[in-house]
Amino acid sequence: MKNIAIIGIGKMGISHLAIANQTPGINVSAICDTSKQLLRVVEKNTKFECYTDYKKMLDKIDLDGVMILVPNSLHFEITKYCISKGLYVFIEKPFTLNYSDSKELIELANENKVKGQVGYVNRFNPIFQYAKSLLSKNAIGDVTNYINRMTGGVILKESNKGWRNDYSKGGGCLYDYGPHCFDLSTYLFGTEVKVVSSVLKKVHSTAVDDVVYSTLLHEDKIVGLNYINWSDSTVRKASNSIEIAGNKGKIVATKQELSVYLNEKNDELGFDKGWNQVYVTDQNTDVAFYLRGEDFSRQLMAFSDLLNGKIESSLSSLYSASITDKLLEETKTLAGELR
Amino acid sequence: MDKIIFGDNQFFGVNHMSEQVAIKQAQKFRTADDIYKTLEYVNDIGIKSFMFTTHNQLEPVFERMKSESKFDDFKLYPSMPYAHKYADALVEMGPFEAINKFVPGSKILAGVKGVGSFITSNPVPMMKLLVDSEMKLLKGMNVQGIFLLNIVTDLLLGLGMHDMLFEFSQYTERKYNVKAGFFTMNHEKLHSVLVDELGMVSPVIVSNINRLGFRMNPSREKVENTLAKKDSFNIAMSFLASGALKPKEAAEYILAIDGVDSVLFGASTPAHIKETKEILNSILM
Repeated sequence: MKNIAIIGIGKMGISHLAIANQTPGINVSAICDTSKQLLRVVEKNTKFECYTDYKKMLDKIDLDGVMILVPNSLHFEITKYCISKGLYVFIEKPFTLNYSDSKELIELANENKVKGQVGYVNRFNPIFQYAKSLLSKNAIGDVTNYINRMTGGVILKESNKGWRNDYSKGGGCLYDYGPHCFDLSTYLFGTEVKVVSSVLKKVHSTAVDDVVYSTLLHEDKIVGLNYINWSDSTVRKASNSIEIAGNKGKIVATKQELSVYLNEKNDELGFDKGWNQVYVTDQNTDVAFYLRGEDFSRQLMAFSDLLNGKIESSLSSLYSASITDKLLEETKTLAGELR
Repeated sequence: MDKIIFGDNQFFGVNHMSEQVAIKQAQKFRTADDIYKTLEYVNDIGIKSFMFTTHNQLEPVFERMKSESKFDDFKLYPSMPYAHKYADALVEMGPFEAINKFVPGSKILAGVKGVGSFITSNPVPMMKLLVDSEMKLLKGMNVQGIFLLNIVTDLLLGLGMHDMLFEFSQYTERKYNVKAGFFTMNHEKLHSVLVDELGMVSPVIVSNINRLGFRMNPSREKVENTLAKKDSFNIAMSFLASGALKPKEAAEYILAIDGVDSVLFGASTPAHIKETKEILNSILM
């Protein structure tokens, strides 16, 4: 059993806390947040020890790892401190706000012999994992190109206020939705990747992008358009979908279902010629504790396995997350001014 | 409770297997009239229980039901708080922002029963306030149980705030004189807390129970073992695994395992509703 603490329990933190607390192999012993009001509620009603200063918490408690769930702009500083104390880290996405910071943290982690994971939850989705396994079995032959879409309805009317309309505060569709989209691309097609062209477009925002077109090239052979839009009023909640073309067929996948089109029948995989349908209900979805989707439970099972030495590296490693930071930066630079 | 309970996912575009199916279903139920007509059919063919999340869209449907005497013996089982919208906000925004969003002016209403308690760090009065506000929608209706949605049940379970589950159950019994029920995706864990730890007698638990083992956590086998203890009242949901199973094979599984007391199902066409009801009748009655 490994001891962990959680830094930051607003927003994503409270659900991570609930899941981590029920994940085998992990014991959550303390939490830290700057909101005293929130801490008082947690302190009175749960067993967790509460702190307002994470450095004090790390001094007082014997820990093996930490989950860092603070605002994005604080990821670098807090992660650096925790790694230097020899702790395994789980950081909510994105890893940091720039590629060079991410690379620095990876080096520091290697020096301190600690491992880490970033909260890219799509990698733990049963359908995307199934898509990945089909690609590795060459189900659609050699992959040539793809379109990866992430759309949602975050900014649906004219807006010139708030952190979402401010790049310096982590605003804009590229930095909010983009990480999940790019990470899915690197998960499926590899981290040997660069951005070849991009456009950032405003719809309702005044100072940031609402729509992103970014074309990636993986290993100089797979080309993929990443289309990201947080101003889509037709979508109930953020959704990912990906269409992958190969020389023997095509895969279309969302978080819940997958279709495969094969030019020829494949007995080994049990697919007919033409369209085949696979649903999430066909996959094994068992988790130790479920709160808001198998993927959220599974990513913490992976962090537990990492802490307990059951796996060498996490499916969502610091390295793969740093490549996403690189792609975000390249997309912004190549796009130039907002259109 | 009845053996067969009609659910509401099809009305509000919820399908766990396919977003496309969900969209198609939601398009069928654009107006209160569409929903009313389906519930009228359900009532006419003898399904006398309806379990639903407290969506505002249902308000005009209930208003119309009140004026029709044929709905007098139609039993309602609201699930709260405030549909998924509120519960998701709680998880995604954290408790403070969620409360500010749904209880407007809460920052300045420090004297109000619920809000004051939050500052003094006791969440029980807040829970009572939320239950009361949800129940306003159903004043004068035949409410026979009040259910806590799984996002909240499982959040409390995850955080180890077991007392809140007990308080909720006490409150529904004392104030509304009806039994509490709990939706969960973690049947085995919840059962052990409610029965073994809190000592509740035959608590009502709604969870996924289907032949595929879809969302039966931590595993189908463990949930089956817990059901077989028969010391909780177990309602199966997703017995069709969101449409992945045909009603007949799905029902045969329910018959084969021990400990399912009721089945909650939803369907959007009269033909499907009737077919599913008849198959369930033949195995449960």
